[in-house]
Amino acid sequence: MFGGVEAFFDSSGFIPHGVCLLWRPEILALHVTADVLTGLSYYSIPIALAYFVLKRRDLVFSWVFWLFAAFILACGTTHFYSIWTLWNPDYAVEGVIKAVTAIVSLLTAIALWLLMPKALALPSPNQIAATNVALHREIEVRRQAEQRYASFFNNLAEGLFVIAVLPDGQFVFDTLNPAHARATGIDPDALRGRLVRDAVPPETADAVIERYSACVRAGEPIDYEETLDLPVGRRVWHTVLVPVRDGSGRIVQLLGSSRDITERKQLQEELVQASKLATLGTLAAGMAHEMSQPLNIIRIWAENALSRLRDGETDAGRLDKVLTLISEQTERMGKIIDHMRTFARRDGGGMEPFDPANSIRSAVELVRNQFALENITVNTDITGERCLARGRPLQLEQVILNLLSNAHDAILEWRAAKDGGDPQAGRIAVSMHCDGGHTATIVITDDGGGIDPQILPRIFDPFFTTKEVGKGSGLGLSIGYGIIDAMNGRIEADNVDHPGGGRGVRFTITLPVTRPSSREVERAHA
Amino acid sequence: MPEPTPAPVHILVAEDEPLAAMALEDFLSRRGFRVTLAQDGLEAMERHRDDPADAVITDLRMPRMDGRALIRELRSQSATLPLVVMTGFLSMDEGQDDLTSDRWKPLEILRKPVSPQVIVDTLLRLIGRPGGSA
Repeated sequence: MFGGVEAFFDSSGFIPHGVCLLWRPEILALHVTADVLTGLSYYSIPIALAYFVLKRRDLVFSWVFWLFAAFILACGTTHFYSIWTLWNPDYAVEGVIKAVTAIVSLLTAIALWLLMPKALALPSPNQIAATNVALHREIEVRRQAEQRYASFFNNLAEGLFVIAVLPDGQFVFDTLNPAHARATGIDPDALRGRLVRDAVPPETADAVIERYSACVRAGEPIDYEETLDLPVGRRVWHTVLVPVRDGSGRIVQLLGSSRDITERKQLQEELVQASKLATLGTLAAGMAHEMSQPLNIIRIWAENALSRLRDGETDAGRLDKVLTLISEQTERMGKIIDHMRTFARRDGGGMEPFDPANSIRSAVELVRNQFALENITVNTDITGERCLARGRPLQLEQVILNLLSNAHDAILEWRAAKDGGDPQAGRIAVSMHCDGGHTATIVITDDGGGIDPQILPRIFDPFFTTKEVGKGSGLGLSIGYGIIDAMNGRIEADNVDHPGGGRGVRFTITLPVTRPSSREVERAHA
Repeated sequence: MPEPTPAPVHILVAEDEPLAAMALEDFLSRRGFRVTLAQDGLEAMERHRDDPADAVITDLRMPRMDGRALIRELRSQSATLPLVVMTGFLSMDEGQDDLTSDRWKPLEILRKPVSPQVIVDTLLRLIGRPGGSA
């Protein structure tokens, strides 16, 4: 039996399968018919599978389909071969075909079981359909949201813009809304997709890129005021930038909103100016007094020298002394004038570091003599370390002057209200203390009788005044409040009882300060 | 060149600005006045007590005792002592300030800057000596 391949396939000893069926035609016909139909059916299945695989290129596990096709093809072949063996006893060949079928079947079965978990994980058509419905719904919701936000974006009065941040750190204009386009006079289509550096004039680009970079560096929203020269002209903006990150945390966009505050700024500046002029008015008397001192000395010395000269005295040494003295006095006057000039000037400059103590000294110097004439003394007490606040020194001086002027008025009124007698000396104390380089506390106290506790909360309101008509604008304290607020400080008022009897108001200004660096000390002294 | 006055008139100058006081002293003594200087009201009262002046020139703003207090004191002692006030205070309008009222007379208010010659003329007029101006 195992005598070689030829012997293996030798079928001479066998009889055809039909013999077993006794060649009964009806049984033969039944077998042949059944095997032909089964074989044909089996053969059609791989064709269908092949067709399916070829049509559905996206099919996962397509090799399994090919395996199935091979397995079914093999099964079909066994059926056709069964018909052959009815008349030809080639049972060895039939065995080989069955063995091939067995191997392919086994492979298919193993593959199928191995694949089962993955196959189960595949979404079923029902699941996919449900997912699709959910997706459609979500798309609709998103579309509506987008419409809503687009509507916000397009109709909001606030100027909005989007800046894309490229991986190399460059900035590209993405879009800006109609309100921003109107306010700036910029055509959105002219900017879209262009590098900020190329799309706007260099000065504007420098200014805005610095802000964009600051926002990216900070990694959080920033807000600031900026003055930009735009197609509509020079405008002041209050801008907020919000960074947007992608999945990996890189900042890919900046969302910006800008409000044109030019008018508000102007109004604010005018109010500050108006109150400054009002303060200036009350200071005119003080200034005249200050000027009259050196002027008086000059006049007496000059006329004295003139008189000697006319009497024939030509002592050069004496003349030299007199002229030197006169020159020194004019210098003193020049300083007074300079001070008034800087005070009256519109304070358009930027915020700068400055020593608040200097503002206090200047303000007190301006009024001290005038107040002394009315028997009001102003004492200053500046303690603690040196420190620097950020803001405009003249504005702080203006606030302090305004408080001094209020204290002066309060003391005079307090005196007038009391019946006659010796006018009691008025006292105003100005103190400043710097602690550890964090805050400077400026306290101004008077003994002018204090403020009615009921109106105390309103004294910083614009146009609130206790002075009679024509005497006060009611703007001094509210503008002072605004100035201190702009320096990130606070100003508060309360009543105090003095140890020796007497009552007055205490204004407390708290300013954030830093310790001066050596460079700043140098500059402050320059 | 001394003024042609029979006896030196004694003038007390109360002024806290030394440069002004010195020049005034120089000018007045050259016009034949005898001058005493004081830096404030209190010192002026002391000098006047020790060596009574014929007229007093005073500033208003001074430490310790100011010009107003000094004037009150002097006037309470003498109703006729001539007083000259030098001031740089702006709003000393007629009728507005108490010093302009008649009860302080003889008193003259001179606004700074004051011409020393005007001071001399005013003094001579208040004292009642004729002429004398250089």
